[in-house]
Amino acid sequence: MKKECIAMLLAGGQGSRLYVLTENMAKPAVPFGGKFRIIDFPLSNCTNAGIDTVGVLTQYRPLELNSYIGSGQPWDLDRDDGGVHILPPYQSATGASWYKGTANAIYQNIGFVDMYDPDYVVVLSGDHIYKMDYADMVAAHKRAGAACTIAVMEVPWSEASRFGIMSVDGEDNITEFAEKPKEPKSNLASMGIYVFSWSKMREYLINDENDPNSENDFGKNIIPSMLGKGEKMIAYRFAGYWKDVGTLDSLWDANMDMLATGSGLDLFERNWPIYGRSTSAPPAFLGRDSRVEHSVVTRGCVVEGSAENSVLSENSAIEEGASVEYSILMPGAVVKKGAQVSYAIIGEDAVIGENAVIGAKPDGSEGWGITVVGPETDVSAGYKLAANHMLNKTLKEVAR
Amino acid sequence: MNGLHGIIFSYEKESGLRELVEHRMPASIPYGGRYRVIDFMLSNMQNAGVTDVGIILHGNYQSLLDHVGNGKTWDMSRKYGGLRILPPFADNRKYRSGEEFEGKMQALAGVRSYLQEIRQDYVVLADSDLIINIPLSDVYETHLASGADITCVCTPNYKQTENATFFQLGEDNKVVKTLCSPKKPEGYHCLEIYVLSKELLLKLVDECEAEEKVSFRSDVLNGMGDKLDIRGYVWTGLAAQIRTLKEYYDRSMDMLDPKVYREVANAARPIRAKEDDETPTYIAPDSKVTNSLVADGCNIEGTVENSVIFPGVTVARGAAVKNSVIFKNTTVEENASISYVIADKNVTIRRGGKLNGHENYPMAISKNSVI
Repeated sequence: MKKECIAMLLAGGQGSRLYVLTENMAKPAVPFGGKFRIIDFPLSNCTNAGIDTVGVLTQYRPLELNSYIGSGQPWDLDRDDGGVHILPPYQSATGASWYKGTANAIYQNIGFVDMYDPDYVVVLSGDHIYKMDYADMVAAHKRAGAACTIAVMEVPWSEASRFGIMSVDGEDNITEFAEKPKEPKSNLASMGIYVFSWSKMREYLINDENDPNSENDFGKNIIPSMLGKGEKMIAYRFAGYWKDVGTLDSLWDANMDMLATGSGLDLFERNWPIYGRSTSAPPAFLGRDSRVEHSVVTRGCVVEGSAENSVLSENSAIEEGASVEYSILMPGAVVKKGAQVSYAIIGEDAVIGENAVIGAKPDGSEGWGITVVGPETDVSAGYKLAANHMLNKTLKEVAR
Repeated sequence: MNGLHGIIFSYEKESGLRELVEHRMPASIPYGGRYRVIDFMLSNMQNAGVTDVGIILHGNYQSLLDHVGNGKTWDMSRKYGGLRILPPFADNRKYRSGEEFEGKMQALAGVRSYLQEIRQDYVVLADSDLIINIPLSDVYETHLASGADITCVCTPNYKQTENATFFQLGEDNKVVKTLCSPKKPEGYHCLEIYVLSKELLLKLVDECEAEEKVSFRSDVLNGMGDKLDIRGYVWTGLAAQIRTLKEYYDRSMDMLDPKVYREVANAARPIRAKEDDETPTYIAPDSKVTNSLVADGCNIEGTVENSVIFPGVTVARGAAVKNSVIFKNTTVEENASISYVIADKNVTIRRGGKLNGHENYPMAISKNSVI
């Protein structure tokens, strides 16, 4: 059945800069904020914006992500007409190929998009934490009669050279695009969120595929090529909270933003809920001698020790005499008696043995950084994992 | 895979629950920070592989219908079978008077045609107001292995005794004596979970109806005890019947016992509740939360001690909540303090307010009250 607008969510990336956290799962499946996963944000934004058809393009380690999305019921995307669809690379009569790039991933699924015959396609990434009304962006795209609309936000000039930077005219028409420019001409950064008119996008995807020199990437190929041909492209300004959580530091930062009242990341706000698939554990239990301050807790957490400035996810536990500060315990992580965890990310179902010491407070030295323990890692009693180090489940320790 | 069908009775009016049942039935009373009481029996059935369940209803069942919906939470929204709601007198003209059922046999007679259509060979009958995490598959297998006519779950650890049934068990756990509402309880407290064959159930329903007998425990267990092979299945874990406000309070506080918490949290037999889609709970600097259960979506800035807190509760700066049970979306404003209180949904305790119940007589506050 025809849809005015559908969304395509790029969820195939490995997220190699999350290192041990994505050894066995795709980045969008990485847990966030106590009871969510990164992909909950774009999926909830879709459902809240009234977009009921979402294609999720997967490639790297899709098991965790596929089982998490399931029928799409937690996001109200289990529909007879539309709903959420997992789109892995597939074999065709002429051969098979992996998704070569973001544009190629959608090119390979032109058939899926055509099934819904949409006027507009929203292209999303699976690695951003933000709340955004895509319906408003699509409305702006329609009003302007654009071929492509790119969401942008103002970033500090000093950081502009880390982003894809858009130059615009007085009416926010995009005049120039530069990927990580040394000398930025603007401070409007692309958020990696696009609205395309499908007929235009389809044409550019096919041309791009026929170009043997293309990397088949939206930022590197499709956008510059559309600009070069003089298509109407506009910038859609966004001013709320947005964070790319593609690195360990930014993932830690974004989790900490949940605790900071001024950060703009307000998950309590009830008119734009973020949905997720949750476990069926009882509420958090805070024991007689527990001390929890300036932290978030959620179902299944059992705290007998202390937690400060931390995010305690589903079914995580802090035993007696153990302490956790400025850290993230991912679902099922256990900190045994007397262990100390500081400025660290502890992966899913990892166990920190008794009296182990993980991470350290910032000491002003060059070598300091967040410490990371990978999922399912069994850290032995008394182990010391220094600041800025990582340990995975084969117990291989590396400096970050 | 499973040859067991579930029937849940949810028609008792328990006036002893006072304010808690003003707007709901005992089965839909919130419990343990995020559950409704009926979640336990539905989850027990789900965890035993039971896919077809009928709930016999009577009374103020709107909130129960809202809660169970189509049974999706327990994977009981199925093309064939699944969850069936059986409102009063669905097919029996005789019981259309609108009066309450006098007993289980009468309630079952009212849904005779539903029972006839059950596609499984065995049936488990259970009450909706029992808090228990029991492997019903083991009860079922024990029943099959023993060759008994009826297997009844019972416990030697009883707390509630009023209007209860007790068994004396002999060799092979055979029920040798059944006592209904004895003055001096002894033996095993019957938890009113019964497994029997569909064939026997239909026979009993017809026999009782013909003789105008209404009660399972007095007319079947007691009345036919010499004709039937009735055996006990002894359960020693958590089993809480909630019939009075005091019992509700005490059993709620039991959830703070790590042993009871672990039993409810058992990952192999999870108790499923309708998803609340709440964000995690924020516990602010300078707050103090100890020996408490705190559900998602709360904002805690004050003190919480020995309490059970449901989703979406706010405890403001300087406020103190002690020895209390606080239902969904209730707010305790700045410097207010409450102790031994059961506050229903959407209650507001205004700034500086003080409310104290007593350990033996907790104070219950009705839904939507502003104090």
